[in-house]
Amino acid sequence: MTTATTTPADHLSPGLRAAGSGLNTMRRHPLLLVLALMVLVFQLTTGSFLDAGNLRGIATDAATLAIVAVPLALLVVSGYLDLSVGSTLALGGLVAGWLAGQQHQSPVVAVLGALAAGAAVGAVNGILCCHLGLSAFIVTLAMLAAVRGLAQQLFPLPLSSFGSGFAWLGGARIAGIDAPVVIAALVLVAGALFLAFTPAGRHVFAIGVNREAAYLSGINIRRAPFALFVVTGVAAALAGAIKASVLDSVVAGTSGAGFELTVLTAVLLGGVALTGGSGSVFGVLLGVLFLGCLQNGLTLLNVPTFWQQMAQGVALVAGAALASFGPRLTR
Amino acid sequence: MSEPNLRIRGLSKSFGGVRALDGVDLTVPAGQVHALLGHNGAGKSTLIKCLGGAFPPDAGTIEVGGARYTQLSPRESIAAGVAIIFQTLSVVDSLTVAENIFLGQEWTKYGRIDRRAQEEVAAGLLQRVAASCSPRDRVGELPMGQRQLVEIAKALSRSASVLVLDEPTAALSGAESGALAERVEDLRAQGLAIVYVTHLLAEVERLADAVTVLRDGRVTHHSPVSGQTRRELVDAIVGRPDPLPPITAVGGTGDEPRTATERGIALGSSHDRAHGVPPAARLTVDGLCGPGFGPVDVRVAEGEIVGLYGLIGSGRTRILETLFGRRRASGGTVRVRDRAIVAARPADALAAGFALVPADRRRQGLFPGLSAHDNALLPTVRPLARAGVRALGAERRIFGALSDAVGLRPARPRLPAAAFSGGNQQKLVLGRWINEARSVDVLLLDEPTQGVDVGARQEIYQVVSTLAAQQGTAVLFASSDPEEVVALAHRCLIISAGRIVGELSGAELTEAALLSAVHDADAAPKTTPSEGAA
Repeated sequence: MTTATTTPADHLSPGLRAAGSGLNTMRRHPLLLVLALMVLVFQLTTGSFLDAGNLRGIATDAATLAIVAVPLALLVVSGYLDLSVGSTLALGGLVAGWLAGQQHQSPVVAVLGALAAGAAVGAVNGILCCHLGLSAFIVTLAMLAAVRGLAQQLFPLPLSSFGSGFAWLGGARIAGIDAPVVIAALVLVAGALFLAFTPAGRHVFAIGVNREAAYLSGINIRRAPFALFVVTGVAAALAGAIKASVLDSVVAGTSGAGFELTVLTAVLLGGVALTGGSGSVFGVLLGVLFLGCLQNGLTLLNVPTFWQQMAQGVALVAGAALASFGPRLTR
Repeated sequence: MSEPNLRIRGLSKSFGGVRALDGVDLTVPAGQVHALLGHNGAGKSTLIKCLGGAFPPDAGTIEVGGARYTQLSPRESIAAGVAIIFQTLSVVDSLTVAENIFLGQEWTKYGRIDRRAQEEVAAGLLQRVAASCSPRDRVGELPMGQRQLVEIAKALSRSASVLVLDEPTAALSGAESGALAERVEDLRAQGLAIVYVTHLLAEVERLADAVTVLRDGRVTHHSPVSGQTRRELVDAIVGRPDPLPPITAVGGTGDEPRTATERGIALGSSHDRAHGVPPAARLTVDGLCGPGFGPVDVRVAEGEIVGLYGLIGSGRTRILETLFGRRRASGGTVRVRDRAIVAARPADALAAGFALVPADRRRQGLFPGLSAHDNALLPTVRPLARAGVRALGAERRIFGALSDAVGLRPARPRLPAAAFSGGNQQKLVLGRWINEARSVDVLLLDEPTQGVDVGARQEIYQVVSTLAAQQGTAVLFASSDPEEVVALAHRCLIISAGRIVGELSGAELTEAALLSAVHDADAAPKTTPSEGAA
């Protein structure tokens, strides 16, 4: 029993072990170091990067990204992918805005309506990918187009003025923290707890690493990925409702356009393998913060949008190169 | 042509601490068929792979057509004139026969592939190997025997002088095997040096001019075939009553019992075959059939270990996978403890008390990137969980117990499975089912020690034997290794072409008996067509 759980690290003093685990975290998440350096550089160059107001802005921007990135990351870990989240985000915002603004429903009903729309999109993705075995890339690429089209068909005109009650979702402060940030924090914690402490969390990894072996181990290889498709759809719709609340307007054609690729970038930067089977919620948090800080810092420095997009692209390739060559260099 | 086409001298190769090849010599002159025999793990594959350039040898030389190499790259090997036809063919199913033959050496005209010229030449090559397919046929639509001939034609197109055939008849029907034997004779007459790897002694007697037997990486027998008795070959393959490595983990003294019966865990009088079927049958299979096998009847008593011995393609794996719900049965009944079982999915079979350790560990058993803990406990995490939350304490305790029970080394729960040796990976997959949280009535093992080193092999046998003896688990395992069957089984069923063709137990269950049983079952129908030709 003792022989089974003893590792060399157990014999070190607590201080050394803490230092060791810090180093270990660093090695597993090189992005942490990059993020710290970037924050330092932005602070030195702008002088205002670490101001409370700016940090609040970063957090709010990153919040919608994190809310979708966490379930998407879990989906990628299980070996699937969802490219339709940008359109689902738009649909969610439109449904919520329509219910709150046009139908004068309570904010709770508006948000629930959005979540239901997101769940429906996720369920369609899930059935096609998990139960019919179609390629997730193709199915969700198709849904990206189809859901955007549906949104534009249902809501051809821009929606705005959703009322003060609905504005609470994006603008309220809970213990001094913006509501979207609180929601994102809850999603991050829930994701991490799910992976670590639930059987389904283990199954997600197993299915991503080796579907056949998972199947032969008696694991239901459809249930967890299907649920993750639904949750990802719900999360995208929630992010859409939050954005609608913050902006007090939604336009079917442009809301969330390109969002799917930004989220995917954050997920991949966070060290989630596109081939499935590996990744962590902490990594996703880093990926989201990295993108949020990069965008904000470059904006403060008056770098044009095109350059910002290029920086994002370079970061992703650099991240991929680091993940591929890094282990070899440190050895 | 006085120089032999192929001369291997003193070839050695180690993997980690294991000597896979130890000073092997092999000489094959032009116009000779040289049979290479030996158990799984005896070093045949390693020898072939060194020849094909897949591994660099540690020592020794390979001479092909007069040129001497200390190591070869795959490209150099092909250029030197070596062609290896592996059991799993390397033809591309979606291309035509001609395209496959010229793959990587396409003939072009004005920068475009010259299909017509390729097809003309391909037709000539196909004629040389007496293939009945056309150069324009898509390879994926051809039967196995024709695909193999396409690959041989490809070798000829590269003007190979050394042809290596790795168990070429394993996946062929009887008639196809007979036809292949004639092709081998033709190619010998055309002056190729042929290395013929096989398990079948009848093929050696029929085709080979000389024979080399490998055992534990060394040449234990080498002679021309004429005047060869089967007895001598079997002895060379099996070896003298062999000194098995001492078992360290399970408290062995080094003087270990060799067979299941000698281990003192033989069944009592209930297993006496004079009384027919053992009374306490744990697994009862009647008339089970499915694609490629059956009908098959199997009975495994409580605590009994039964082997399914047969060559690759004989249907062993299909039978196990059908019992486990991985494949659909087309008929028959399965009963566990007198309960009728219909397993449509592995999950059903698991619920009914089955467990399977599959043969292809990488593809079907292991989660390489996940920790040892996860690998061993994946199916157990949910049943242990309380209110949807994992019982981490219980998981750790069970992992500790199972890692002690199977002798996992290193016993580090957080190490990724990929970092363990093959033997310890297999212990993880086995431990998945052998722990206090699971109750397995029938344990199915497919090639339980494939890719497992000798020491771990003994430990795995011990674990399985102990499980059967102490928990009364019925064990049904498939193997193509006679040594393994003798070491592990109380009783063995011989499988050939999807049917049970014989049964051995007690004192009759010896490696020699198994080898000749397969000979009788497989070689007899396969040589029939060629006898007409000879």
